[in-house]
Amino acid sequence: MVQSNGAHGMSDATETDTTAQATARQERGEENQQPRVAADASTNVSTDASLNAHAKQRKSGRKPIIWVIAALVIVALVACCAIVQTHARKAATPTASESIAIGIKLAPVSLDIRNQSGSALEQLLIGNVYEALVSRNSNNEVEPGLAKSWTISDDGLTYTFKLNTHMRFSNGDTLDATDVAWSINQLKAKQYYNSDQVENLKQASAPDATTVKLTLSKPDANMLWYLSGRPGLVFDKDARYDAKTTAIGSGPYLVKSFDSSSKLVLQANPNYWGSAHKARTNTVTVRFLPDDNAAFNALTSGDVQVLSPVNANMTGKLKSSGKYTVKATDGSDKFVLAFNCTGAKTSDKRVRQAIRYAINHKEIIASRGGVDAALGGPIPSVDPGYEDLTGLYPYNPTKAKELMRQAGYSTSHPLKLTLTYANVYGSELGEQLRSQLSRIGIDLSVNTVEFSTWLQDVHANGDYDLSLVDHAESHDFYKWTQPDYYYHYDNPQVQALYGKALAATNDKDSARYLKQAARMVSEDAPADWLFAYRVSVAQVKGVTGFPSRLTQSVLPLWKVAYTPVTA
Amino acid sequence: MRYLIRRLVLFVAALFGLSLLVFVALRILPGDVASVMAGTNATPERVAALRSQMGLDRPYPRQYADWLSGLMRGDMGVSAISGRSVASQIGLHASITMPLIVLSLIVALGVGIPLGCQAVLATHARVRGVLHALAIIGGAVPALWGGLLLIMLFGRGVGLMGVLPSQGFPDAGWRDPAAAIAALILPAVATGLVAGAAIMRYTRACLMSMEDSDAVAMAMACGMTRRQAMLGVGLRLSAAQLVSVAGLTFAQMVTGVMVVESLFNLPGLGAMLINDVGNRDLVAVQSELFLLAAFFLLLGVLVDMVHHVLDPRLGEQPEEV
Repeated sequence: MVQSNGAHGMSDATETDTTAQATARQERGEENQQPRVAADASTNVSTDASLNAHAKQRKSGRKPIIWVIAALVIVALVACCAIVQTHARKAATPTASESIAIGIKLAPVSLDIRNQSGSALEQLLIGNVYEALVSRNSNNEVEPGLAKSWTISDDGLTYTFKLNTHMRFSNGDTLDATDVAWSINQLKAKQYYNSDQVENLKQASAPDATTVKLTLSKPDANMLWYLSGRPGLVFDKDARYDAKTTAIGSGPYLVKSFDSSSKLVLQANPNYWGSAHKARTNTVTVRFLPDDNAAFNALTSGDVQVLSPVNANMTGKLKSSGKYTVKATDGSDKFVLAFNCTGAKTSDKRVRQAIRYAINHKEIIASRGGVDAALGGPIPSVDPGYEDLTGLYPYNPTKAKELMRQAGYSTSHPLKLTLTYANVYGSELGEQLRSQLSRIGIDLSVNTVEFSTWLQDVHANGDYDLSLVDHAESHDFYKWTQPDYYYHYDNPQVQALYGKALAATNDKDSARYLKQAARMVSEDAPADWLFAYRVSVAQVKGVTGFPSRLTQSVLPLWKVAYTPVTA
Repeated sequence: MRYLIRRLVLFVAALFGLSLLVFVALRILPGDVASVMAGTNATPERVAALRSQMGLDRPYPRQYADWLSGLMRGDMGVSAISGRSVASQIGLHASITMPLIVLSLIVALGVGIPLGCQAVLATHARVRGVLHALAIIGGAVPALWGGLLLIMLFGRGVGLMGVLPSQGFPDAGWRDPAAAIAALILPAVATGLVAGAAIMRYTRACLMSMEDSDAVAMAMACGMTRRQAMLGVGLRLSAAQLVSVAGLTFAQMVTGVMVVESLFNLPGLGAMLINDVGNRDLVAVQSELFLLAAFFLLLGVLVDMVHHVLDPRLGEQPEEV
């Protein structure tokens, strides 16, 4: 023992010396080193054998201890971290929570609701941060908003709104009729987003502080509904702010912070004018979770209390755990497989009809978790004019093959088509359609592209055979009456019926015309409606007041509250 | 000194070439920010109005010149979509990605170098074999899968030992350093272990080549044990190569951590780039790409300089560098 210690001490003492020698030898040059390598290697083994034997004994005695200590330190650090974390969490959770976190899938890229497209903006800001002249409830019906009542003249050309009194913006400015008129006239003048929806609106004026008068160029049955969306939003005419990063509205919440890659933090607006929609929770954090797995983990690890949407194929585990409630909610999302009506191959109605007969909607819906609803026409169940049209083109491969034969194609002589769609919808849908259509003699090549490429190629240039998009907006039937929209669908009868529906002065007649028009569109097969996407919402027990319908388009959060359930 | 100047001139020339390449490559992409902003309901007139409002209808050479002159003044422009300055946007996201990379690198070096040494020095053939197998397996496991496994083991609320957060970055950001680091531990381990396996193989290979070298033999002749000679002399001589490898690993990680960031829902540089390219926010993307590429170049320069410090022999023949 003593000896080996001695040896150790000696070698330590000489260490710096030898290194110096080694470096010195390097500096002399490397040429004469090379030939000696072999000799060195052979002497290595024999001459050092006894030394090595000593050394190994000593080292193997010390080595494991170092490793064990290192491992212990790491484990201790991790444990400390964990303890600190869990303590911090416990301390931060009061009985009736001051805050709640909600996970959604798509993030708005900016807060500029007047210019920027995207349903996420409407979903998050309308009714929470900005308010419209009238509001929309979860049954998709118009309700009083900033205006407490309104009258419409018999000819349908003049709308007179009576506003609430003592209204204020979040910065303290008063909100009166002049702000409303200014906002609507600006929308028209600057051609802000969705201004085309209120084409028939000529002018807004403010006869007094609580009265707003709208003049129309022709009657429009949809006008009130559109005014509950972006066109009806009221902005502060005196405020100067960067609308992309902040927001000054009159809603129950104000924007505390926004980062489109992670979250939007809403805080109760201390200046809120109303009492009916006062925020029940002080801070609402909306997290953007584009990845389904990450979203699921965020819910189960307690980072969010509500997840909307949750992937329907993942809900089984949530339901069985007993800690969450999961509900599928109706909405206006329509997955539209559009056929280019003026395309070289798809202008043949028989081909379009064959495709509709060949698609097995049940199979597609089942593979997505079985919660989506079949949809046979352009109007979703939450909109006026809805009718179940799934009977028009039931799954019938025999009929589909017959139509294809008439059009001159068969499985041995297939028709080549390309499906172009944005990669945000995943690759499964394209693959399913490819395999279903291959059975009737269509050789479908699937081209998934970025959304911006889709916008350019399909939407702007109309250069496509088949396209697939989730058209999320409600009340968007009018796109079937515009031949220059990328559907390229041109049917004067449909356009006339839609005109009648708009001109109708009562809702019943209007809905009747819409119904007829929708049936006509579906019969012409300019598209197949794969399904109406029903969003599954998962929430942890203790969450109340989260909307149960239309969560993708209107998401009023003033009612939402969270009281953690103590196990 | 001459070497340094030459290297810097090359660096600046490369930056110029880079800016042109980035600018042209992005203009080839179909679609533009105006149509993304206008969305699926837009009329062509609306898209055209937005385009001229954002200055997208200016001729390309003019756009390039504007951008370049901004860059020279240190102004990277303003994102057309978010309205934030590109510099602040990069700063915000880099404050997550860069610490994550550094942590990953610490894990990688902390695992790779000791195990790599051990794989050469271990006396039992079986131990060496096991370590070698570990290095191969570690390198073959995708970081994404490893990350999922880590979440299932340690993710709070989902894992078997739910101790660490596995989703997102804390609201307070770096003002709450403990929580911020805790949020980065699992992703850092996920990427660090994969990179660590590679570093382990490099370390092992370097040391093996040193095993028979004169330097080690000399050290042993002077009384060092084999182990001491290998660690004291062999490792010291391998340092230059290992620095290169570490530098390359660092550069690889800038893109490599993107997958893991999305798994752990961290809003890092990867998420930023993907979003900005998707939105065709080209002013933002070109500045971001430019900065990233400049960062790679700078890293290369730094690695070369460290080489010179570590290995004075290189300074004598600058022609060979």
